[in-house]
Amino acid sequence: MADNELENKVRKIIADRLQVDEASVVPAASFVEDLGADSLDLVELVMAFEEEFKLEIPDQDAETMKTVGAAFEYLNKKVAEIG
Amino acid sequence: MANKLKPLRIGNLTAKVPIIQGGMGVGISLSGLAAAVANEGGVGVIATAGIGMLEPDFFQNFEEANLRVLRREIRAARAATTGILGVNIMVALTNFATLVRTAIEEGIDIIFSGAGLPLDMPKFRDESTQTKLVPIVSSARAATLLCKRWTEKYDYLPDALVVEGPLAGGHLGFKLDQIFNPAFALEKLIPKVIEAVQPFCEKAGQSIPVIAAGGIYTGADIFRFMNMGAAGVQLGTRFVTTHECDASMRFKQAYLDSKKEDIMIIKSPVEMPGRVIRNAFIEALNRGEKEPYSCPYHCIITCDYQNSPYCIALALINAQKGELARGFPFAGANAWRTTEIISVKELMNSLIEEYHQAAA
Repeated sequence: MADNELENKVRKIIADRLQVDEASVVPAASFVEDLGADSLDLVELVMAFEEEFKLEIPDQDAETMKTVGAAFEYLNKKVAEIG
Repeated sequence: MANKLKPLRIGNLTAKVPIIQGGMGVGISLSGLAAAVANEGGVGVIATAGIGMLEPDFFQNFEEANLRVLRREIRAARAATTGILGVNIMVALTNFATLVRTAIEEGIDIIFSGAGLPLDMPKFRDESTQTKLVPIVSSARAATLLCKRWTEKYDYLPDALVVEGPLAGGHLGFKLDQIFNPAFALEKLIPKVIEAVQPFCEKAGQSIPVIAAGGIYTGADIFRFMNMGAAGVQLGTRFVTTHECDASMRFKQAYLDSKKEDIMIIKSPVEMPGRVIRNAFIEALNRGEKEPYSCPYHCIITCDYQNSPYCIALALINAQKGELARGFPFAGANAWRTTEIISVKELMNSLIEEYHQAAA
């Protein structure tokens, strides 16, 4: 999967779940501070990523995904690993 | 009689009286209170938050002291009752995992777990585990999420769910602006949670009893919520003003002395709002004064311990001991209504009687 394709999917999932404009889903945006996510939103996001990319995200990994950019990076790496 | 108070069934456990005594930390509900409630046919719950603070070596051996007291309290309660016993273990505790393992090892009947989502709790059980897992949630969304996650990852459903509304005592699972918003009232939450878990129950062919909590004070309140479909209720505040409650008399007296305007919401250092009884300590904090302390152990994951003006665990254990100049009591929204200290037996009997009066 090309990076852009993955990032588009991730951006769409985030915008859908958090009900924000896709344009505001930029790498520097923090889920909690900039996109208004609460703790349940974060769990839902992680579950949506798991479903979309058919992978398992351990809790300690999920905790590192505080920004959109961190999610891009993590998911790119994980998806590449599964191949 | 159609309106008779029904027992609460959680898996193979049956509580004759569908009243759960909510876990109250730090040290408010220990083996004394829990066993007394279980002896009356309800579910008695030991609170595990900061339980090791009762030990002299707490500051040196935090983890070990917590587990030692947990074992001791479970065994003491078990020796005093054949009824149903639970522990409350907050997800936000940094030692959540070891407390859960120890409670299961000790054969506790039920683990209640809130203050966060216990997303991975089923991983601590195996086929031989009899312990029931009961998350505490404050929204239908959280209930759905947990059922979904537990089903997908562990093929396990919560054995019951406690729904804690905004009138509860202590830390609350709501934002400040939601607490007094009628849309978030327990009366609104209960039907939503029952509806939310229904598809999971149907799919798995099992039921998830939904237990109402937060601000329930009389037997008439119990009737109201059970009529809405709750399988049981959880009460905290009412059990504080009993002889058997494990807090000091001065702590209980603070409940008796409180007036409606003394019950207030604070912003706790652990990033959750909390309901307390206002006192001089709270007033001083409101003036921006600080209570010097050094963090003995980072006990709650979300605690901003480097910037907090005081340690909430120390404040709560001080209150438990009656040292109210150096702490404050957590309390439910109805704590000001308490007028006397009675026995757990008298309390349970009066709640049952009031229930039947309301149902008649």
